[in-house]
Amino acid sequence: MKHLDEEQLIEHYYGEDRDPGPAERHLAECAECEAKYSALQADLSDLRATDIPFRGSAYGERVWESITPSLPEVPDRELLWMRPVLWRGLVYAAGIAVLVAVTFYAGRMWEHAKAPVTAVKPSAPLPQPSKEVQRVVVVVLSDHLDRSERLLVELKHADAGSSELLSPLRDEARTLLSANRICERQAEESDDPQLEKTLASLDRLLTGLADQPDGLNSAALARLQQEMKAEGLLFEVRVLRSKMPTRNPDNKHAL
Amino acid sequence: MVGMDKNDHASIRAVLSGDKDAYGALVARHSQSLFRVAYRITGNEADAEDVVQEAFLRGYRKLATFASRSDFGTWIYRIAVRCALDRIASRKVDESRRAANEDDPELQAVQVADTAAGPDRLLLSKEIGALQETAMRGLTPTERAAFILRHLEDRCTDEIAAALGIAPNAAKHAVYRAVHKLRQRLALLRVGT
Repeated sequence: MKHLDEEQLIEHYYGEDRDPGPAERHLAECAECEAKYSALQADLSDLRATDIPFRGSAYGERVWESITPSLPEVPDRELLWMRPVLWRGLVYAAGIAVLVAVTFYAGRMWEHAKAPVTAVKPSAPLPQPSKEVQRVVVVVLSDHLDRSERLLVELKHADAGSSELLSPLRDEARTLLSANRICERQAEESDDPQLEKTLASLDRLLTGLADQPDGLNSAALARLQQEMKAEGLLFEVRVLRSKMPTRNPDNKHAL
Repeated sequence: MVGMDKNDHASIRAVLSGDKDAYGALVARHSQSLFRVAYRITGNEADAEDVVQEAFLRGYRKLATFASRSDFGTWIYRIAVRCALDRIASRKVDESRRAANEDDPELQAVQVADTAAGPDRLLLSKEIGALQETAMRGLTPTERAAFILRHLEDRCTDEIAAALGIAPNAAKHAVYRAVHKLRQRLALLRVGT
């Protein structure tokens, strides 16, 4: 059984315990606590014996007469800004404003600190080629168009009688053919119709030129020259090549 | 009580409107209760009367800050309690000297015997009063005021806390400490007599 301590007994005596039931039950069962409580009651009842000196019914009037000379004509008119409640409110408002400002500033600082990380992360999985890769492709394409143009010029001015010139053209066509197919795939990926069309025409011409195991005869040469002229292939290659230096590698349409 | 509140509020409005004499009605209505608590806290008639006057003066000056929803009696009562505590604080040096002397059980017995020796102290109630006053001097001002408000003025913990300007829990513990000390001292004093 847990006995009641002095604080609990005092609390119970003044009726300050929220639920007096448990204390009452304990006091009814526990002789030791009941004895302590009786002693407390006796002590506190003794302390009620103070007499207040009598002040007659006119005491209030006497007090009034004694203070009247000291009273100002009107009570202090407290100005609004002097009220403690107002000052407390202002202090709280200022505190909250400072807190909000600090939080906002901290948030901005945190965002700035995190910005480089967030900028790098989404760029990593992008399927687009990097600038370096695009620059290499442009150089390769430019070189390919440059070599193709020279081949086309030589083909245009080729003479069926100069057989020593035709064999190198055929060999060059074979070399350019593989490069042309790589460039075609790049052109397809870059969605550049003009480049695709030109490279497709170039592919047919290079194929026709490369597929001459015994060298170009006059008929085959004339047919290829005619084909090149009909499609305006040399002109198309020159146009593309002229655009190459100004083409922006960042633009996918450049390919 | 409601009628009294209405009278109080009417008087307050009149005072704030410039009718200084209307404050006289408030003074007359609440002087007795203020004197009672002031006397109990100070233990001295002259001090209690000074406290009553000081409380009404302070109340008049601060009347513009009085919230009309409050009870004027409670408000001026709290001011009186503060004034009484201020009065006790102003004579703190003397009180502490006396309390130091009374901490000596031998002196306590002598003092009680001396005060009980006169013809006016022969009645039991007077003797108890002397014992009580002696024991009360050993309390701190806050303990003394908290005990008086709780035990003699029947004020609840929240009212005591508001009057003393402390937290309710602190007010409750001030009452506990006061009762504990008083019982200890009264036991000693009884032995001495």
